[in-house]
Amino acid sequence: MCRLEKIDNYRWQIPQSYKSEMNVPGLIYASQSLIPPILKDKALEQVANVASLPGIVRYSLAMPDIHWGYGFPIGGVAATDPENKGVISPGGVGYDINCGVRLMRSELTAQDIKPSMENLVNSLFKTIPCGIGSKGDIKVSDKEEEKIFLKGAGWAVKEGYGIKEDLDYTEDRGCMEDADPSKVSDRAYERGRKQSGTLGSGNHFLEVQAVEEIYDEKSANILGLFKGQVTVMIHSGSRGLGYQVCDDYVKSMMYCLNKYHINVPDRQLACTPIESPEGKAYLSAMRCAANYAWANRQCLMHLTRLVFEKVFEKSWEHLGLHLVYDVAHNIAKMERHNLDGKEKLLCVHRKGATRAFPPRHQDLPENYKEIGQPVIIPGDMGSYSYVLTGTQLAMDDTFGSTCHGAGRSLSRSAAIKQCSGRRIDRELFDKSGIIVRAKGRSTLAEEAPEAYKDIEEVVEVVHKAGISKKVARMKPLGVIKG
Amino acid sequence: MKPYEIIEHTADVGLKVSAKTLKELFENAAKGMFGIITGEDRVKSLQFKVKRDIRIKKEVEGLEELLVDWLTELLYIFNKEEILFDNFRVVELDSSGITGELQGNRIDLSQETLQTEIKAVTFHNLKIEEDKSGFSCKIIFDV
Repeated sequence: MCRLEKIDNYRWQIPQSYKSEMNVPGLIYASQSLIPPILKDKALEQVANVASLPGIVRYSLAMPDIHWGYGFPIGGVAATDPENKGVISPGGVGYDINCGVRLMRSELTAQDIKPSMENLVNSLFKTIPCGIGSKGDIKVSDKEEEKIFLKGAGWAVKEGYGIKEDLDYTEDRGCMEDADPSKVSDRAYERGRKQSGTLGSGNHFLEVQAVEEIYDEKSANILGLFKGQVTVMIHSGSRGLGYQVCDDYVKSMMYCLNKYHINVPDRQLACTPIESPEGKAYLSAMRCAANYAWANRQCLMHLTRLVFEKVFEKSWEHLGLHLVYDVAHNIAKMERHNLDGKEKLLCVHRKGATRAFPPRHQDLPENYKEIGQPVIIPGDMGSYSYVLTGTQLAMDDTFGSTCHGAGRSLSRSAAIKQCSGRRIDRELFDKSGIIVRAKGRSTLAEEAPEAYKDIEEVVEVVHKAGISKKVARMKPLGVIKG
Repeated sequence: MKPYEIIEHTADVGLKVSAKTLKELFENAAKGMFGIITGEDRVKSLQFKVKRDIRIKKEVEGLEELLVDWLTELLYIFNKEEILFDNFRVVELDSSGITGELQGNRIDLSQETLQTEIKAVTFHNLKIEEDKSGFSCKIIFDV
């Protein structure tokens, strides 16, 4: 059993002495009541394993939505120092590179759309390609795909799937620099070609929501959010392209372990020095996949706007369907952070964690500088979602990172067993009036509300620990899933 | 001895695979993987029967790496050609590669409501173990 020492009400430490391979201690953000489910699986062992990565600095971090992954825990954050043999690990980003969320606001209220809800959800379900192996209507050639890798969401906007303003409200303006398409394998190209503008399956979703609670009026005003307002949340990633990029590089990095004399406790943590040719190649390919994911979410937002136009017979501009913000939650980035009083360029791995930059940070859109970066936290189909903002404390203590969602508490098979014989869609409708449409046969059972931790508790921890600040809470009205 | 069992993993899906021989272990792992994809349920859009041969040439230190390659290759063909394999025969298997013969059915993925999308086969704590009854391993899939 992993040794866990309480620091304060919201922080726990795994001492460096727990395992001889650990280079830094582990630091877990959680409340007392979140600890038992965390102890149930092997997530804390994984926090300790990540602490053994060469060049890791300060802590192997875990957010309150931490759960057992493969290699890295989900909800894990690790920063490595390139000047001190720091490594990059594709497993620390995951297969769904730049899986993330975007939130759109509107001028509509929940009352306005009530009579059209069923029509709206059905139209979204019909229009947005979702499910296993779903193919999109946006088909591109190799040459065009290369442009997506290089330009990200900017490509989509240039093609007419959105406007320039959308880019201002996307993390990294929807495009990471230094992407190199020549580092992407033919197989990855091939898998990416037919899936642009598709939602995917599993926990990915598109949700029509209503703002139910405002915690911070000033920030909500600046973000254009008000009580009763309709919002739309899109959760998707880089689809088969990202899976293939990760797969290709996890395999190639097995050889780097010998080449660079690196010992890791789990081969899924395969890694290589950031400055090695293999490390640079992975980062270049990962950025292509990240850009593809931003283009994908931009296309999905475009399709959503078209559906709203059709259902409400007004232009999307008239309906005020603007982007609030788009965040990545599976990604590695070179960022400047203060380390022991010195500013350093570090490689921050966020695996199921969200960037949470503080007010005045240079990477924020001008009108958000006063409040900090919006952090979009998706719930699951039966529970709330949240908008938070980043804080200086996050910048100082967690490399500008916070949680990314509720985090699973039940395995998929346990959830299916528990929901056997039940109609989850009917339950959600009867109990909360939520309209749900799902493609996969058991998606609804796997993703049933009881399969997840209490998102309110997860958000409460990051808010009270001071690594983000609550702004608004949304409740689901209608959900489509793969 | 069950050829495979689905094991609990909080975020993803795992398989415990058992077999008398190594070749059979690879075959059972493949069966288990497609069992996860279909939920061991009937598939409705079966079109026509297809055969495929797989040959992976690679010098490996441990067969675990080859097991991941083998399953990844099957997953790749499934996604690309929309073939749902149901019959697996490993012809040759050693530290220099694997040869297999497969049979399955062409399906239409866009018409199917399958159980699980497997994103990838992971190396997480993967170890092929041998005891007096044969071979076994646990494989975690990213789903």
